[in-house]
Amino acid sequence: MSRWWVGPSLVGVVVVVLALVPLVANNYYLALGVSLLYFAALATSWALFSGSTHYISLATVALFGIGAYTVGVIGEVLPWPLVLLVAGLIGVTLSLIVGLSTLRLSGIYFVIFSFGLSELIRQLVTWYEVNIHKSVGRYIFIDINQTQIYWQLLALTALVLFAGWLIGRSRLGLALRVIGEDEVVARHAGIDTTKAKLVMFAISSLFMTLTGAVMAPRWTYIDPAIAFNPMLSFEVVIMALFGGAGTLIGPILGVVPFVLLFEFLSANFPNYFSILLGLVFMVIVYALPHGVIGFVQKRLPRATPPPVEPQAVPLKTAGAPLEVVGLRKTFGGLVAVDNVSFDVAPGQIVGLIGPNGSGKTTVLNLISGALPSDAGMVRCDGEAITGIGAHHIARLGVARTFQLVRVLETLTAVENVAVGLTFRRRPLHGAEAEAVARGLLARIGLADKADQTAGQFTYIDQKRLELARALALEPRVLLLDEWLAGLTRSELNEGIALIRSLREAGLTIILVEHVMDAIRSLCDRCIVMNAGVKIADGPPAAVLADHEVLRAYLGDANA
Amino acid sequence: MRSGFAKAWTVAALAAAVGLGLAATPAQAQQSIKIGWAISKTGPYVAGAKITLLDAYQLWVKDVNDAGGIMLKSAGKKVPVEVIEYDDRSNSDEMIKALERLINQDKVDFLFPPWGTAFSLASAPVFARAGYPQLLVTATTDRAPEFAKRWPNSFWLLGTATMMADSAVEVFSKLRTEGKIGNTIALIGVADQFGIELSTAARAALKKANFNVVYDKSYPLGTQDMQPILTEAMRSNADVFFAASYPPDTFAIIDQAKVLNYNPKIFFTSVGTAFPVIRARFGANAQGIMGTGGWNADSPSLKAYLKRHVEVHKSEPDRWASPVTYSSLQMLQQAIERVGLDRAAVIKELQTGTFDTVYGKVKLENNQFLGVFQTGQWQDGEYYGIGPTQLAGARKPIDKPAWKQ
Amino acid sequence: MLVVDIVLTGLIIGGMYALTALGLTLQYGVARIMNLSYGEFLVAAALSTFSLYVGLAVNPLVGLLIVVPVAFALNWLIFELLLVPLVRRAKNRDVLEVDSILATFGLLFVIQGVALVIFGGQYFSYSYLSIPVSVLGSALAVNRLVALGFAAAIGIGIYLALTRTRAGTAIRAVAVDPVAAQLVAIDVRRASAFAYALGGALVATGGVLISMFLTFHASMGVEFTMKALIVVIMGGVGNMLGALVAGLLLGVGETAVARLLDPGLTLAATYVLFLAVLLVRPTGLFGRSTR
Repeated sequence: MSRWWVGPSLVGVVVVVLALVPLVANNYYLALGVSLLYFAALATSWALFSGSTHYISLATVALFGIGAYTVGVIGEVLPWPLVLLVAGLIGVTLSLIVGLSTLRLSGIYFVIFSFGLSELIRQLVTWYEVNIHKSVGRYIFIDINQTQIYWQLLALTALVLFAGWLIGRSRLGLALRVIGEDEVVARHAGIDTTKAKLVMFAISSLFMTLTGAVMAPRWTYIDPAIAFNPMLSFEVVIMALFGGAGTLIGPILGVVPFVLLFEFLSANFPNYFSILLGLVFMVIVYALPHGVIGFVQKRLPRATPPPVEPQAVPLKTAGAPLEVVGLRKTFGGLVAVDNVSFDVAPGQIVGLIGPNGSGKTTVLNLISGALPSDAGMVRCDGEAITGIGAHHIARLGVARTFQLVRVLETLTAVENVAVGLTFRRRPLHGAEAEAVARGLLARIGLADKADQTAGQFTYIDQKRLELARALALEPRVLLLDEWLAGLTRSELNEGIALIRSLREAGLTIILVEHVMDAIRSLCDRCIVMNAGVKIADGPPAAVLADHEVLRAYLGDANA
Repeated sequence: MRSGFAKAWTVAALAAAVGLGLAATPAQAQQSIKIGWAISKTGPYVAGAKITLLDAYQLWVKDVNDAGGIMLKSAGKKVPVEVIEYDDRSNSDEMIKALERLINQDKVDFLFPPWGTAFSLASAPVFARAGYPQLLVTATTDRAPEFAKRWPNSFWLLGTATMMADSAVEVFSKLRTEGKIGNTIALIGVADQFGIELSTAARAALKKANFNVVYDKSYPLGTQDMQPILTEAMRSNADVFFAASYPPDTFAIIDQAKVLNYNPKIFFTSVGTAFPVIRARFGANAQGIMGTGGWNADSPSLKAYLKRHVEVHKSEPDRWASPVTYSSLQMLQQAIERVGLDRAAVIKELQTGTFDTVYGKVKLENNQFLGVFQTGQWQDGEYYGIGPTQLAGARKPIDKPAWKQ
Repeated sequence: MLVVDIVLTGLIIGGMYALTALGLTLQYGVARIMNLSYGEFLVAAALSTFSLYVGLAVNPLVGLLIVVPVAFALNWLIFELLLVPLVRRAKNRDVLEVDSILATFGLLFVIQGVALVIFGGQYFSYSYLSIPVSVLGSALAVNRLVALGFAAAIGIGIYLALTRTRAGTAIRAVAVDPVAAQLVAIDVRRASAFAYALGGALVATGGVLISMFLTFHASMGVEFTMKALIVVIMGGVGNMLGALVAGLLLGVGETAVARLLDPGLTLAATYVLFLAVLLVRPTGLFGRSTR
């Protein structure tokens, strides 16, 4: 019953109406329209990447400027469509550099990095112009008038919105949302985060570069200071954040009042423009804590589609054997995992225990691909899984929960589980995914909370949700990192029963735990680690009576 | 008979008045002459725009209105000037929008140009399409003659980079002939269009005059740390130091050359050298510094201009662009007085007429003004024009004393 | 000696970069406010110093005693009146960052607008202590040496205060985890306000000192904000010594490139250095890594 066509149709109507504007408006309103449109195109394309992934990029003007400069350099030599094509290609290539930097950097470091990169590009272009071209400015005498620029920008903005709409409904869109929430979870759900980020940033950059190229003929003369004006990057970010960067239409809702406010104040108070703009802006920021989109959304009725019937999918997995050979991991001078080897037979539950700091979680991180190993190998069902990336490991059927629970807080429980279903080897989508997700939630005991956002869940429910998400991957090996910690007696019993049922379904399970009752009742086998080294391996009863083990846990005097 | 004649004449006069009143659309157009401008009142260009353009614009409006306005033949009286101004915030896009607003919404009679070469070029098509005369002062590009042909409504009044370079090299050559300096030049330039064009033109002129450029580098726009580059220039031991610089770097160059005790025989900086702040900040150390621009400080009309500028703005004009800006507006006024508000006619008059301005008599050649001083020097607290040497009031250059620490 | 000259000149230039970034380290690192209006305060301080010097013949070093306390008080007020409401309503650090960016963006325009109304748009430039002094054969300007001296003294002084005093430790605790800090009876709001006001005082100090040798106009603030951001991030968020070292490194790097390569590449070199440092150490030179 979702009327998915309402939004796009509305946008289509608006686009058609706007296209008629040049026929009736004078040059001033046309100029205003051009301003609105190019900011709309920039802000929307910016938000395509930065809005969902939360990597705030200040490289906007670098791409915009490259587009404009391309026109400056080859605009009079090639036909216009070809110029745009070349500009787009250059923009995409440039975007790869910025995109790759996201692999190393995050948060404010990425933000300022992107800014520095943008300025570096400006300096390099200037240097090239000064020393090689011997002239800093480029004259653009292309015969394109303001109306044509207006229409091109309108088409571009419409294209950006269309692309954003398509992506939003696709796996890529979901992948980006998950990346924006928690990149570690994304990788462990089978999302190739590198590819997703690069592709999205490339698409976003393509549009930004084209916007610059289309705008260039307006200026007649461009130099690096004009084309690469850093304030533009900041303005685009501000407008998009102000409007609501997490949605498709949000940025435009920020652009329109912003540009109009600037225009109104410029036209009426040229001498006090700065002060008035600042005051008005601050007032609005304080009045609208969730941006313009938040203001709008609160007043719009939300149509929630009725839930799909849950589908119980039996957990029949063939648990895979796991071989760990000579794993080693150091952090600086500290050897966290030192030459650890063990085998796990299919369908076994192995407990991995030891005092705090013994390296248990690190071993799990090495197996799941959350950390790269310094040496050693892990094989799942004969296939080597070391060094192939966490998302591949997840797709091969190795799922895990985390010591500090990681759920996607702004998504509902169903959506959280659906993430596990969308990127695995046999992906599900649409109604089928929803049905299976609900079935999994029922099995875990969360059926009545299926439509609540995960951020509202209690600690134990979040743990259950995380397990459901892990199970959604159809894993053959399950890694549980202190999943039973912090539970009451009755919750503990439920939890143990749940894990036992999983083992009975055939899953291979590695359990890192401190709760000895659970270890004794669940595990076929126990591996004990101390200071990074495996010190015991055998049935729980034997291991827990072992001298070495007792000394590790209780210290020499008490062994 | 007499009353019949009188009646007939009265009726005819009334009819003519009504006819004229209706024909003159709208009648208010002759209550004031609307002048508009979009200029940088905020943003990085604000400082340059104020001293070279805005102050002169405002002074002209005040002078015109104090005298009652501009004489319009069609109105038979002086009509005051009404100003509509906008802030382009040093942003090209805003500037274009503001101009379109002035043309289409405010429907101004005349437009004054924005500041800087880049904005002059960006606004040129807008002026041209709407048929407004564009009196450009802060636009120095060697392609001015070409642009004057492309946009016949544009007037390029401050000269080109080649003119600046040729004039400076003429001065240097004379001094070399007199045995005052040798053959070597250290050349630095800001990496912006102005700096590049001037450096390129200087290089060509110096080569033609058989000077030897021993140090030749550019520095990024906005740099105010000139010590490294000055140290290298010093090490080259050149007789002449030539910097194609902008105001903040000009001031920094002078200050840091002093700290380094860098005393070449000729010390030349570009934009900003003509600003009165040089005297304010450097005092006696300004003596002998050469630069672009300059004026005939002994001219009575310019002396009066200086006096009025200080009275109105409490600050002095720069000795290069400001008087030329004011003169350009006087030219506009006289053109309007001669041919009225028809912009095409005004353009024609500007192209062909001769005008009386504070700068002296001005007649343009191919939409360009060739009578501006291109080289100046601070001598005893005033920045005198010293080149081109054939201009009236050109002074002889003096030796530059060593920096007083 | 070329190397000595490059290093000395570079340290002088770098000292200026560091001085103008120390304040933002505190404001962003501790109070968690991404203050886009930062540079406007620097420019305002510079312009005030100009007025005091040219108008009332108060020399800049004495002017410090007037401008800096005013800046401290003003910034404390701004924090309490404008920023505390944002802190209160922010659910988490990211939201606060976004909100503070938006709010200080507005503040930027207000301060710049006031400066333009009071001072107008033209260039302001004066000379004070523009006297050369010879250090190891290199000629250095006394006013720039003074700026470097202040940068080093402030950077090291505050670092020591942060690490050796109780109040300093409280501030560092707030920087690391405001919630946990509250749980150990630290008045987070006062600590943040103090850090923010101190940051404002620092940037005013920078403005006063560098006005002795730089040329200003009322719309220059943004340039300084951007430079400060680079220095703060390169040094590691919240780390005073990091900002000091980063600033000095950038100054020396820039000078070396200007003397040895091409002065046209100075800014490019600055950014290359910045980007390289971040790629090798993704949380800055001395920064802490976050989850």
